[in-house]
Amino acid sequence: MDLNLLCFILLVLTGCVRSSPNHHHHIEYCVLGAGPAGLQMGYFLSKAQRHYIILERNQGPGSFFNRYPRHRKLISINKIYTGRQNREFNLRHDWNSLLSHEPDLLFKRVSGEFYPPADAFPRYLAMFATELSLRVRYGVDVGRIRAVQSGSGRSYVLTDQNASDYSCSVLLVATGLWVPQTVDFVGSDLVEGYESISTNPDDYRDQAVLILGKGNSAFETAQSILGRASRVHMLSSSAVRLAWQTHYVGDLRAVNNELLDTYQLKSLDGLVEARLEKIVIAKRKEQNHRSCGRKKTERNGKLYLTLTKYVQNGSVVSGEELAGHHIDNFPTRKPYDRVIRCLGFRFNFSVFDGSARLPPSENAKGRLPAVTAWYEGEDAPGLFVLGTASHSRDYRSSAGGFVHGFRYTARAVHRVLEQRYHGNRWPSITLLTTQLLSWILKRVGEASGPYQMFEVLGDVILLRGSHCDYVEEFPIQALPQFSSLSGHEVSSHGLLVLVMQYGKKKIDYLGRSRAETDWTKAWRSNFLHPVLYFYDRLPTDKEMTLRPHSWPLPRPRALHHMIEDFLTEWDGPVSHVQPLRRFLEHCVQTDLRSFYADSCFRLSLTHRKPPLFCRQRYLQQQGVARRHRQPQHAHAAGLIAAERQAGPAQSDPAFPSFLAQAEASVSSGLKLDL
Amino acid sequence: MRCAENLLSIMWMCIAAFLLGTRLGGCAETANTSELIEFAAADFYEKLHSGKMMFIYFEYKVSPTISLFLVELEKSAEALQDYGILVGKVNCNREVVHTYCTDQRLMHSVFLFRGGKEFLGLDLDTVFDVNSIVSEVLFAILREEVKYVHTDTDLMAMEKAARGKKDIVLGYVHSLGTQEHRSIMETAYVYGSKYQFILITGGPVLKQLGVNESSHSSGVWFLHCRVHSGFTTPMTSERCPVTPMRKPLSTLSLHSFLQLIEAPLVSEVYDDPSTVQPPQFPYQHTPQVFLFSRPVTEHLDLDTATALAWRLRGLAQLLLVHRQSPAVKTPDEYNVAYRLPEKSLDVKYLTLHNMDEVLELFTNEDKAEDKEEGGDEGLEDEEDNAHSGELDDEVAASVYENRGNLLDSDLFTQIRSDNFHTAVARSGLTVVLFYLKWDAVSMAFFSSFIDVAQSLADSEVDDIQMGSVDCGEWTDLCAAQSGAALPVLFQPITAFPTVLVFFPQEPVLHYRGMLGSEALHRFIMLCRFAAPVLLSRQEEVMSFLQDESSQAAGYRPDRVLGLFKAQTDIGVSVFTEAAKSLRGEVMTGLLTDGLAEKWAADHTADLPVVLVFPSWRKQTHPSSLPVSSSAEELLTHINDARLHPMPELTVENLPSFLSLGKSLLLLFVGEEEDEIGHRQNQALVEEMKQVVELGGVRMERYLACWIHLGRTPAGMSVLGSYLGSLPPLPALVHTHSLSGDEVYQYPPSSPIVAPSVLQWLQRIEEGTETPAGMLVEDTWLPEVEFYDFLKIIDMQEPGSAKQRTPEGEEDDNDEEVDEDNVNVEDETWEKAAAVPSYSSAPDTKHNTHSEL
Repeated sequence: MDLNLLCFILLVLTGCVRSSPNHHHHIEYCVLGAGPAGLQMGYFLSKAQRHYIILERNQGPGSFFNRYPRHRKLISINKIYTGRQNREFNLRHDWNSLLSHEPDLLFKRVSGEFYPPADAFPRYLAMFATELSLRVRYGVDVGRIRAVQSGSGRSYVLTDQNASDYSCSVLLVATGLWVPQTVDFVGSDLVEGYESISTNPDDYRDQAVLILGKGNSAFETAQSILGRASRVHMLSSSAVRLAWQTHYVGDLRAVNNELLDTYQLKSLDGLVEARLEKIVIAKRKEQNHRSCGRKKTERNGKLYLTLTKYVQNGSVVSGEELAGHHIDNFPTRKPYDRVIRCLGFRFNFSVFDGSARLPPSENAKGRLPAVTAWYEGEDAPGLFVLGTASHSRDYRSSAGGFVHGFRYTARAVHRVLEQRYHGNRWPSITLLTTQLLSWILKRVGEASGPYQMFEVLGDVILLRGSHCDYVEEFPIQALPQFSSLSGHEVSSHGLLVLVMQYGKKKIDYLGRSRAETDWTKAWRSNFLHPVLYFYDRLPTDKEMTLRPHSWPLPRPRALHHMIEDFLTEWDGPVSHVQPLRRFLEHCVQTDLRSFYADSCFRLSLTHRKPPLFCRQRYLQQQGVARRHRQPQHAHAAGLIAAERQAGPAQSDPAFPSFLAQAEASVSSGLKLDL
Repeated sequence: MRCAENLLSIMWMCIAAFLLGTRLGGCAETANTSELIEFAAADFYEKLHSGKMMFIYFEYKVSPTISLFLVELEKSAEALQDYGILVGKVNCNREVVHTYCTDQRLMHSVFLFRGGKEFLGLDLDTVFDVNSIVSEVLFAILREEVKYVHTDTDLMAMEKAARGKKDIVLGYVHSLGTQEHRSIMETAYVYGSKYQFILITGGPVLKQLGVNESSHSSGVWFLHCRVHSGFTTPMTSERCPVTPMRKPLSTLSLHSFLQLIEAPLVSEVYDDPSTVQPPQFPYQHTPQVFLFSRPVTEHLDLDTATALAWRLRGLAQLLLVHRQSPAVKTPDEYNVAYRLPEKSLDVKYLTLHNMDEVLELFTNEDKAEDKEEGGDEGLEDEEDNAHSGELDDEVAASVYENRGNLLDSDLFTQIRSDNFHTAVARSGLTVVLFYLKWDAVSMAFFSSFIDVAQSLADSEVDDIQMGSVDCGEWTDLCAAQSGAALPVLFQPITAFPTVLVFFPQEPVLHYRGMLGSEALHRFIMLCRFAAPVLLSRQEEVMSFLQDESSQAAGYRPDRVLGLFKAQTDIGVSVFTEAAKSLRGEVMTGLLTDGLAEKWAADHTADLPVVLVFPSWRKQTHPSSLPVSSSAEELLTHINDARLHPMPELTVENLPSFLSLGKSLLLLFVGEEEDEIGHRQNQALVEEMKQVVELGGVRMERYLACWIHLGRTPAGMSVLGSYLGSLPPLPALVHTHSLSGDEVYQYPPSSPIVAPSVLQWLQRIEEGTETPAGMLVEDTWLPEVEFYDFLKIIDMQEPGSAKQRTPEGEEDDNDEEVDEDNVNVEDETWEKAAAVPSYSSAPDTKHNTHSEL
């Protein structure tokens, strides 16, 4: 094997790989597909200096984007001016770039457009692959994937068009979705597909068009022909979901929604709901032989929408079989010139052999494979699904199906791989407990992973008494398996999980009460805001399953919502910081306030041990000097302390209470009896 | 009371402001931000002769006690202004006001002038804060109006005199000069013409009132001596009927109480209790009791109500509801109703058989409430603090208070990811502060950092560059991932603030000293010296040991000299490594060859040797240390040698001495006023050294040290905390013993001499001394309870935060949209389509959008 490996590397290095039939390569990591997810994973593997290869059937990366979206405008935001220099923060508003350590390897290098042209994306991907020297093999069309069990464990064997086999210890499927989703109904053969329609609006001049679907591709299509078509109707089973209401970027984006306008202003366009299985698209039978030939052909070109219950059989129907015959005001009683199917895409399950079977997930109409919370195939250990195909985990809720989301889940998967196969624990940062507050605020203020992958990725903070370990961006649905996946143990001090969440209430999204400002009402926040969960141990699988309705995590021991913020800057001393500090104090059961050196001096001399802050700072000779003589500010601190401890003045530096109570006086002269 | 009416309105404004959320104190105190008025002698005389009331301190010398007093005096100025009293000081150092400035004995007093002459002198011991100043001054002014009563007989006489004329307000304060005392005096000033105010001192009078003196709580009683027409029972007794005030004594509660006493005894209403308005300002917290009246028994009912109202006076308002009114809906079975507005606005209905039950209801309720109230009110305060804008973190609070001040960072370079390397390379020494804007400690230190930059700029030090990195913005730089080709020179920053010092071609130095301008400045100045300084000539060594540049800055650094036979000596590298980590803290020098031989011989040491010259020791007597095999070991030795054996503890150096883990033998000395005092203090310190020497081995587990309360005022509260009060100085205390938390005080009456101190320590060890106090054992649990969102959610949306039960286990996140059966009915197509978004049911089970 070693020889093979060496040979393989040699071949790759010399760049003239010519696989002969039945040539057998063994590779540690195979990444299937050189789209954004595949390249993203390739980057992490390359950075970790793993033995990997990215296999791509086309001649360049991101080939999906050479064709789609058909109207060539990406709707992923490319915000290049944010007023900030923080790279991490800026990724919150850059939906196209992939993650890397290179500060300049960003999408903005290829386009400055807010909604960039689709051609820019493969260009960006090619640049990404080249500059990071990712090992991609183009022109390898894997047609069959099977699992092989051997003494050394399970591996996956991929067979390409030349019958070359690639044996992979770990298979990372990043093939995306490119099989158009279809629905079987009578007359579905009369329908054109989004993948092949003309994108020239003039081809739709004065035509009545019915579009099946109400997603972004359907609306994008409708929008492009609005100025030419006579009528555009859109049909699907469910009503339009607006992304700005659902916070789900896969729902209809405002950039595509012009048809809503023309519908509501009664400009001949419209939306209707029906299950596709119940409709029939049909041509009309010739009525009788009296009609003259010319008319006949014209009518034959028209497509009618009727319902299965009126139709006997076939996609050529009589007048009696039309819905309008039964209901004289049937909405779509007039015929269409074209019917276009825009129902999205599905995962290509067909290449997976029974041994490497990926079952379809229950959601997403079975279009996506089912995966575990850490994106591994349910019954296919060592096979991970990345990219859009991994979206079944957060379908219709978060951003896992989109570049700005799955770039982070790819990183999470890579960390799982490093721990599982190489014993490298998830990266963590060890912090003094007195530094945790500021660190959480830092993450809350800039972290892009939990921000984009809200409710899916969360920071896990392992409390360990005087210090803690901070683990970033863990897939929180996998929390029960945290220790084995991350390699970090949870101590008896418990753990915190920091997640970004939207409110779950249906509200008037532009109405007056859409946002809360009072921090005590933070749990009613509607916009994205940080939420912290405190557990004294890892939740179990069962607790995870039975979590409260619409919650990302089970009921914790303590919960803290940070009030939503208009500027998404959660650093207000009163509204954000102090409530968070008190929550942390509750979780670690320690006073986490900071004290000036003179207070620490006093507390160190009057107590067995001073508060944690004094222990971690002042006693380490890093006390905080009071600058000049500051007037006594923290009245409250003094009052509370004095009340609770009923002892001598605690925190009021200016006037100790015993001076007031006792009749003693400070004798300024010395009474020496020497 | 000339201005009583005016004042009354002012007070109510205060109270109104209080109710709007401002502190009462805020109204009286914080409005005035001006300095204490200083009167010139001429001014003083002019005001004096105009007959104005003045409260003046004649300032001669300012000790810590005096400066504390002056702060309080300033605060009281605004409060006393409301009573027409001018507060100020006269600076005797500028101008002499005769006798007041010349008689030393008067220095410890403050004077009240009235009608052109001295009215009263108050000893500073009795006026130590705003409350004591205001109460004592008003007490003096109201000397005629407010009577002091010591015995019950006196009180009886007063009652007799007041009968039919005036009601009496009787106050008891457990100690004078407290906030309670002040509240009574302020109220007396306002209501003095209306009521007779009497102050009692406890003892027999309290007993007469049925109060257990040991409870020690202040209180107020209202004595109804003026005959009230409402009285059904004639006043047969000698004594006036008494209504105790049940709320804790404060100006606000006392006003409300007196207002409530004045309120009509019984109000008659024709509405149902549930629709009767809750009590209005200022009674909004007063419970309401409703009795019901029928036309037949109207008079009788009113009598009953009045009788009950008397018993409930000060406790609740009584309302008589006329049942004949059609608006009254209360069922006949109920004869009493009440409302507790503090708890809820709901009216509760009861059927009671006699009036005592009503009373019981309230007195018991009251007791229960009292109990709760103690807690409640505390909680409320706490709530206020806990959940309103008050910051309870002293550093955060001071940073927040100064949030209006822009931090002027022109003095130093803003370091970014992209200019880091060029910026650091630009200068011989670059001091960089890594900070987070939301980290209070960072921002508190930021100001000190600016101060240092300013003072470096002022002293024209130009080889040092100061810079700062905002880690909220340059997150990659702070994480030590520059992304640039050049390597990052430091570890990721995970603690804020962090100060790093960069030298060209040398490893980065981590600043580990106090976060204050003085310490940082000292560190930077010392960093300018090489570590170690290579010395090759006698003059260089001399100047190394006596460098003036650092002395000029006001401090003397410790110096360490490494003496080696040759540069090639293996010890040199160990020493150099130790020297590098001491950079900024001490000055290190390296001496080799012949000169080293000479120096070693001078100090009767053999090469190689390390000489430590602590700043506190005479230069001729350095400690000599062997060169250890490792730098860490050498460092430990050097640091031990730097520690003073009998140190003066300061805020800055305490940690290094506490870390020795020894028992403390702590001498507190006061501020010297003159040369004699200074010598005495020195003698004391010398005597303590004697203790150490005389004690020998026995003293090894003790650290003998002293605190100068003038230089380290924080020591005052330490001493106060140990002993419960400030003892006369000097005071010798034994604390932080290895075995227990007891704090012992050396008998204040015995002279501090070494042998008796040792005997005293012996007695402590033998357990025959009684401790004077205890160290506080504190687990440092959170000061304030957190805001429990789970509890709030459980209350406001019951069940929504509960774990689901296994039956309801269906995964509702994974809704299946297209399977649902919506709008297939042809007729409703368009209708449904016209209701976007909510009409469809993406989830077959819940018929709602789960993501909405």
